[in-house]
Amino acid sequence: MRETILSVGIDIGTSTTQLIFSNITIENMASNFTVPRIVIVDKEVIYRSNIAFTPIIENNKIDQSLIQRFVEEEYRKAGIRKEDTQTGAVIITGETARKENAEEVLNALSGFAGEFVVATAGPDLESIIAAKGAGISEYSADNSATVVNLDIGGGTSNLAVLHRGEVIDTGCLDIGGRLIKVHRTNKTIEYISPKIQQMIEQKGWNIQVGQQATEALLQPVVDEMVQLLKQSVGVQEKSAFYETIITHKGLKDHKQITHISFTGGVADAFYHGAAGDVFIYGDIGIMLGQALAKSKLAELFTIVKPKETIRATVVGAGSHTTEISGSTIFYTDTIFPIKNIPVLKLTSAEEQIDESMIATAIKEKVTWFESEGDRQNIAVSLQGKKNAKFQEVQTIAAGIAKGMEESIQAGYPLIVIVENDMAKALGQALQSLVGKHHNIVCIDSIQVENGDYIDIGHPVAEGSVLPVVIKTLVFH
Amino acid sequence: MVNETELKSLIENILQDMVGKQEQQPEQVQEEVVAQATAEATTTASTTCTVASDACLPDITKVDVKTELLVDEPYDQEGYLQMKQKTPARIGVGRAGARFKTATSVRFRADHAAAQDAVFSYVDEDFVKKNGFTAVETMCANKDEYITRPDFGRQFSEEMKQEIKAACGTPQVQIVIGDGLSSAAVEANIEDILPAIKQGLQMHNINVDNVLFVKHCRVPAMDVIGEVTNSDVVCLLIGERPGLVTAESMSAYIAYKPTVDMPEARRTVISNIHSGGTTPVEAGAHIADLIKKMLDKKASGLDLK
Amino acid sequence: MILNTMLFDKKYEFKTLNEVMAKANEEKSGDMLAGLAAESAEERVAAKAVLSKITLEELRNNPAVPYEEDEVTRIIQDSVNEKIYQELKDWTVEEFREWILDENTTGEQIKRASRGITSEMVAAVTKLMSNLDLVYGAKKIRISAHCNTTIGKEGTLSFRLQPNHPTDDPDGIVASIMEGLSYGAGDAVIGLNPVDDSTESVVRVLKKFDEVKKKYEIPTQICVLAHVTTQMEAIRQGAPTDLVFQSIAGSEKGNTAFGISGDLIEEARQLALRQGTASGPNVMYFETGQGAELSSNAHLGVDQLTMEARCYGFARKYEPYLVNTVVGFIGPEYLYDSKQVIRAGLEDHFMGKLSGIPMGCDACYTNHMKADQNDVESLAILLAEAGCNFFIGVPHGDDVMLNYQSLGYHEAPALRQLLGLKPIEEFDEWLQKMDFVDANGKLKAKAGDASTLLV
Repeated sequence: MRETILSVGIDIGTSTTQLIFSNITIENMASNFTVPRIVIVDKEVIYRSNIAFTPIIENNKIDQSLIQRFVEEEYRKAGIRKEDTQTGAVIITGETARKENAEEVLNALSGFAGEFVVATAGPDLESIIAAKGAGISEYSADNSATVVNLDIGGGTSNLAVLHRGEVIDTGCLDIGGRLIKVHRTNKTIEYISPKIQQMIEQKGWNIQVGQQATEALLQPVVDEMVQLLKQSVGVQEKSAFYETIITHKGLKDHKQITHISFTGGVADAFYHGAAGDVFIYGDIGIMLGQALAKSKLAELFTIVKPKETIRATVVGAGSHTTEISGSTIFYTDTIFPIKNIPVLKLTSAEEQIDESMIATAIKEKVTWFESEGDRQNIAVSLQGKKNAKFQEVQTIAAGIAKGMEESIQAGYPLIVIVENDMAKALGQALQSLVGKHHNIVCIDSIQVENGDYIDIGHPVAEGSVLPVVIKTLVFH
Repeated sequence: MVNETELKSLIENILQDMVGKQEQQPEQVQEEVVAQATAEATTTASTTCTVASDACLPDITKVDVKTELLVDEPYDQEGYLQMKQKTPARIGVGRAGARFKTATSVRFRADHAAAQDAVFSYVDEDFVKKNGFTAVETMCANKDEYITRPDFGRQFSEEMKQEIKAACGTPQVQIVIGDGLSSAAVEANIEDILPAIKQGLQMHNINVDNVLFVKHCRVPAMDVIGEVTNSDVVCLLIGERPGLVTAESMSAYIAYKPTVDMPEARRTVISNIHSGGTTPVEAGAHIADLIKKMLDKKASGLDLK
Repeated sequence: MILNTMLFDKKYEFKTLNEVMAKANEEKSGDMLAGLAAESAEERVAAKAVLSKITLEELRNNPAVPYEEDEVTRIIQDSVNEKIYQELKDWTVEEFREWILDENTTGEQIKRASRGITSEMVAAVTKLMSNLDLVYGAKKIRISAHCNTTIGKEGTLSFRLQPNHPTDDPDGIVASIMEGLSYGAGDAVIGLNPVDDSTESVVRVLKKFDEVKKKYEIPTQICVLAHVTTQMEAIRQGAPTDLVFQSIAGSEKGNTAFGISGDLIEEARQLALRQGTASGPNVMYFETGQGAELSSNAHLGVDQLTMEARCYGFARKYEPYLVNTVVGFIGPEYLYDSKQVIRAGLEDHFMGKLSGIPMGCDACYTNHMKADQNDVESLAILLAEAGCNFFIGVPHGDDVMLNYQSLGYHEAPALRQLLGLKPIEEFDEWLQKMDFVDANGKLKAKAGDASTLLV
């Protein structure tokens, strides 16, 4: 059994907006004589859009209609209809995520791009999907290496540390190629971002908007950015300004990092250099890439060449956000897709094989998700137990049913996400408790945390599995 | 007995040996170390004084083979442990010259002993009684005949057939448990898999009340039961030939209206049911769905696809 | 043809040559299950006595299964070199046995003779051999073959590295490969028994094997032991394949049960020669085992030893690189205990060599058989001494997918050191380059540390 799922990825970044389509191939890896085990076996990008500038209008807003037109045009060029896409993600990244109407645009666009195209945002997620989209995860696994990937875009540098295939840390700095903008023809400085302005003032450099941009004038700023990036990966003592430049958090100290890779728009100048006008794109991206190439970073670490540079994030959004649930799961029909469901996760202390303990813990946490007494749909998540006994499954089910009773009475579907392989038995137990006619989705082999949101798409592989996107929706 | 200093150095040695057991909590390691040290101390002691001791060596079969790395000074310990996580195969076992280490060969023999015992022992009669199964047996006189005469393990005497008919009647779905090549598999899994199947079937208003237990059972014995009871679906839960990774693996053979000498392709098989494979509760829930599908489509095996 | 004899004043009358052949066998539970075995120890000896006086011509003229009815018989009979046969046909089985054992008979002479005989003759002489005879006779005969490297040269002992995994997980498979390489296993072939017999899965594993082979520049062969038709499809899809594998039987009916025929095997061989990745000319790999025909009810009233010999007669036509009996895998209904397994292992190896094929052995047992690791270690020492081309090696002797036990990777260096044998030359050089062994085959510090390959 082989099946292909068509996925779309859209990245609305600080400077550019891109779109890709990719085929995600799933296959039943189990023999005919065991329960099915359906996994993703291949991801292939089948269409890459033009790279467009992200349209910004006055009042610091994103031009939603222009982006929609871009998306529509790319679908047409690719010969793909919206209803053909089975999954996908729109991610709004970098400085764009801080625009006033970011959330609004994101939600509108996710609906516009396809029925199960989910909205995502958040600097940690950006770091992860850029690294995965660039193939760094496989590289670190194949070479038993610890790699730090720096996805340097227009507004932010998203950092991810991958150790033997696993993401072990993320961080984000307000460093990017478009934090100083230069007029393309007359080369005057048009814009300096607030944090860079602060840096310039602290250093006492004479650089202002309106000035004629030259390489010599801007070199100190670019060099300082490089110093800060060096600090971020732990090869240089952190300066006082480092705390100012981090977006929400930096990387922890990782002594074992041996390899480095660069993605994002700035990466091309790092790997390929650039001839001619450094301000050709109207920013300092090329200067930053070249300065990085000359820096100690390129000497201290083994340089990894990523599979994607400027498209890393969009490929990650299109190919690496969709997961597949376990293959023995339980669901009742006709409620898919389920979108933007917040996750309520029990701690391991709360997760005892004890009906009232589970019920109490759930009831208490449910109130966190109520705003002004309004109940909303939530997904209960637990680790579950490896090789649970039949009676233990019944106890867990009873605890969940009791904890969620108000939600069940209110008619919400009961959504349960469990890590260990027990969802089908747990789902059946839940159904025997809440009745045949209540909607239940109980899936396993999916790991989520409090603060995550989950989207669940239409069943695939003859109904054996559900595509799932786990995401954060953090706007800063 | 050993003194404090000796005990301390013993603990230090063991702690060094335990590098690599990363998944354990520190307290747990401590406890184990103390237990082991005490045990070792007593062993040492017993050579000097002949008094028997209450101390006990730890159970070697409780060691998780997947996290135990016995190669001396491995080049990449973390990488090796990660490799071991990917396979149940006995790798990273180290060597004594070109031979196995003592610990791994004893463990290997322990696992082989468990496997052989699973084949050559019987399911406890009390287990069958306690669960209320109807006990029947094939034409095999004993285990030896069972393993050498597959033809006898698939036949019942006329009297047995009458007993089966009387006990089961003509249910829509007949569940059969067979010892097969692992009695251990039956005792380890049945009490979880059976209620899971029942719960799943109950949602479709299908009841399975009379469960048969067949001693000296080969898979085609289910075909005879199918013919005798005239059930729509027969589901046989039977012990698999044990391996060293587990002696408790069970398979389910399920067929729509099975008949003697039918093609094997008419059976649907779910194998590898045990705590480390497809867990018995998940397998049970899955089997319930499969049985429902067979009843709806009136087919099984390849015909069901 | 005399089928009757007196023994201890009792007259034994056998109706057919097949009956004599079956009853002359050493005791095997499979022959008993089939109802073909001698009914007493004395009857067994009577049959041996009768068989010893049968001529090779009588065996030629009375194949176990008639020529008209069976493709395997036709392949065996048609491949006989008539000139050589004419020289030998008047020998009795007794004379044939003693000629093989004669100190003046060389391996080259036996190899020449093997081209003039049928599988029934091979089986018959085996029935008159003791265990030591089987070792002594086999040791004279070296059969080598070339795929990417040459197997079976004097003074070598090779291992198939069998990295089986319960779910075909590529990383798990590679982990077992690295472990085996670090002990010096894998010079015969790196060969996986897949759980999933689909083309996708076979292609995936072959590509992974090729990647490993190229990454570490290992001079060896790769193979995934799916059904031959699946491997053919994989080759057509461009999967890198050195050897094409198939399980074979000693009767046409048995081969039909395996889903194969002579034509299909030839087609697979031609495909491997044209589109495979090996240098060749030997690109086939066969597995056999006493009792396989009976288990698919395709034995046609013929004993399991004779059927096994016929497998080798069939295999010979396709010039294989590797053939091995999976001797203890089939179960106690065919080979009851370690005594029967050891006997069968020695018989199969001798018969393979006498049939002119490069013979190896999977010295193994299942958990429902009365045998343990000591027994297969004993068999391995006997066969290694008999000049067996190769064994199967799995991590610590435990195959976690097929759930049976074979030899461990450790047995490769242990047996080689014990008997002064070496891996295939290029592979030996590779082991030295990787610092696993020194020039004398002694293990070095890195041996057994698979993590040294994690780079």
